[in-house]
Amino acid sequence: MSLAQALEIIQSARGTATGEPFDAGLACGFTPLHLQTFFHAALQSRLTRPVRLHCGIFGDLIGNIEKFPAELHAGAVVIEWGDLDSRLAFRHLGGWRPAHMPDLVATFARRMEHLESAIRVAAARFPVAVVFPALRLPPAFFPVNARASAAALALEACVAAAAARLADVPGVSIVNRQELEQRSAAPERHDLKAELFSGFPFTRAHAEAAAGLLAELIVPRPPKKGLITDLDDTLWSGIVGEIGPRGVSWDLEHHSQLHGLYQQLLDSLSLQGVLLGVSSKNDAAVVQDTWRERDDLLLPRERIYPLEVNWGPKSESVARILRTWNIGADAVVFVDDSPLDVAEVQQAFPSMECVLFPKDDPAAALALFYRLRDVFGKDRIEADDAIRMESIRGAQEFREQAESSGERQDEFLKGLDATITITLPPPASDTRVLELVNKTNQFNLNGIRYDEALWQRMQAQPGAVTAAVAYRDKFGPLGTIAVLHGLQMGHCLKVTAWVMSCRAFSRRIEHALLRFLIEQLQIERFSFAFEKTAKNGPTQTFLAAMMGEDVARPVELDRAVFEANCPPLFQKVVTS
Amino acid sequence: MNDIDARLRRCFSLTFPDLAASEIPSAEQSRIQGWDSVAAITLVTLIEEEFAISVDLDKMPELTSFVAIREYVSGAA
Repeated sequence: MSLAQALEIIQSARGTATGEPFDAGLACGFTPLHLQTFFHAALQSRLTRPVRLHCGIFGDLIGNIEKFPAELHAGAVVIEWGDLDSRLAFRHLGGWRPAHMPDLVATFARRMEHLESAIRVAAARFPVAVVFPALRLPPAFFPVNARASAAALALEACVAAAAARLADVPGVSIVNRQELEQRSAAPERHDLKAELFSGFPFTRAHAEAAAGLLAELIVPRPPKKGLITDLDDTLWSGIVGEIGPRGVSWDLEHHSQLHGLYQQLLDSLSLQGVLLGVSSKNDAAVVQDTWRERDDLLLPRERIYPLEVNWGPKSESVARILRTWNIGADAVVFVDDSPLDVAEVQQAFPSMECVLFPKDDPAAALALFYRLRDVFGKDRIEADDAIRMESIRGAQEFREQAESSGERQDEFLKGLDATITITLPPPASDTRVLELVNKTNQFNLNGIRYDEALWQRMQAQPGAVTAAVAYRDKFGPLGTIAVLHGLQMGHCLKVTAWVMSCRAFSRRIEHALLRFLIEQLQIERFSFAFEKTAKNGPTQTFLAAMMGEDVARPVELDRAVFEANCPPLFQKVVTS
Repeated sequence: MNDIDARLRRCFSLTFPDLAASEIPSAEQSRIQGWDSVAAITLVTLIEEEFAISVDLDKMPELTSFVAIREYVSGAA
């Protein structure tokens, strides 16, 4: 992106971006100049809301962080060596004497502590993304360039240790140095002429790369949710229907290690909650035999659901998998070694990312593996991630049995042995809560989405009530499947956000949650900030059933009316 | 209006979005409130990108009007 293109993005948003401004802070010790422009443009290109950027004063990195306005939605911090000791800055002549080095290292470490503390304080209020020093250290050290100086290594160790500590702090995200290296090669980062003239040390290319990564961390794209893979010459090397389960391979000996690495990657992705499905033109019995006979497969059979093995068009198999998962095509990646099958699925699902498995090109395969890590990447792995596949499989069994139970619904629900666990309030570190609020469409009170900073502020309001609901029954756990947020005013609960995963429908969990709140908080009246959206029909149906009349806007539900219309509940409700 | 003029106008309008198109040919640093040191560097960087030239930083104090910049770019491009 050129500077002109960045300015065009910023200026065109002035006429088109709508809604509440997204307030972002940028703190650096140098004059932000083009970094500010690229950062503003990178944020704006990821948002439909207008971006308002707040920058501090030249020369005072820590002060700039400490003076971040409290109402920011996010902050970005760009650190350079000179921010931690001015003797490492090119605009300062503080001396590079060998005798200075012990003091330089000690000062650097103390200043890093102070900086780390300022970042922690800011991150308690809003998300903060950080770039640690990316320029080459100045020629301040006495060994030849080929030899690492002990002092320089001490500075780098100090930076690495601080980055590792901060990476574990909720709300802090650290820009990956290796990814920055991919986008901005080290020798091309520093512009000494610009630094001496204007105080801006980065080349435009490096400013753009750093700004882009910061924006990715601050406004991340939602991760993809599922991957559908082919088997022959993709998950393993060879055509299993021709050479049999013992003939397929994924190892160095058979020059098919790429397939082993792919299996290893899928295994890891499944454990972070990515749904894995198979679409293969094959004999189903042979495929079942392969998993039975080859216990050296790195991807266990139980991590894949569903397995669509047939001779029909792949697009039809993919459609069935999407229905089972109940997710959109745009949340899924399809991987296959056949260009024809990739094209056929891509035509049927234009929004799906359909990728050719490059079985004969290790470099392309490695690029694909990094790409898959990126599109499925998440900040942290929650307990719910590990049970997602089990939950979908259980939900499918539930649907089949619920449908066959017909009018004996009460009897069916009674036999579920269901337990609802309500956490009131959930810990701030539980990222699943806000994720659920922002991705649920059908049972959603009003469709309003929240950014992390606003959600944190809502939790801190006096009278705030937030409940996270987890569920399990004889079909298995569903994990955290509902979130309700409101403000309690006396015996009235004003509910502003309420979502429930569609996997949890038809179990009367929504009824159980309201009854729990009535009993636990002595609620006599609910005031629901309901707004009809294009997709929240299930919420409308539920409220209409509770009210005994159609609803189209915010409604109030008295305890007596709820009790009169609430069907029998059979779940055991516990708190955590 | 020649090609250099049109491309230079674009650099000015990106740097000073509030400046009317008709005001650009007579633009002078002393009469434009937002033409500070940051804007000056932004403008020079845009000109470097647009004309694929490297502006001599020592010349920057002289580049204080559209006319002066046009003359400089005409000589350098």
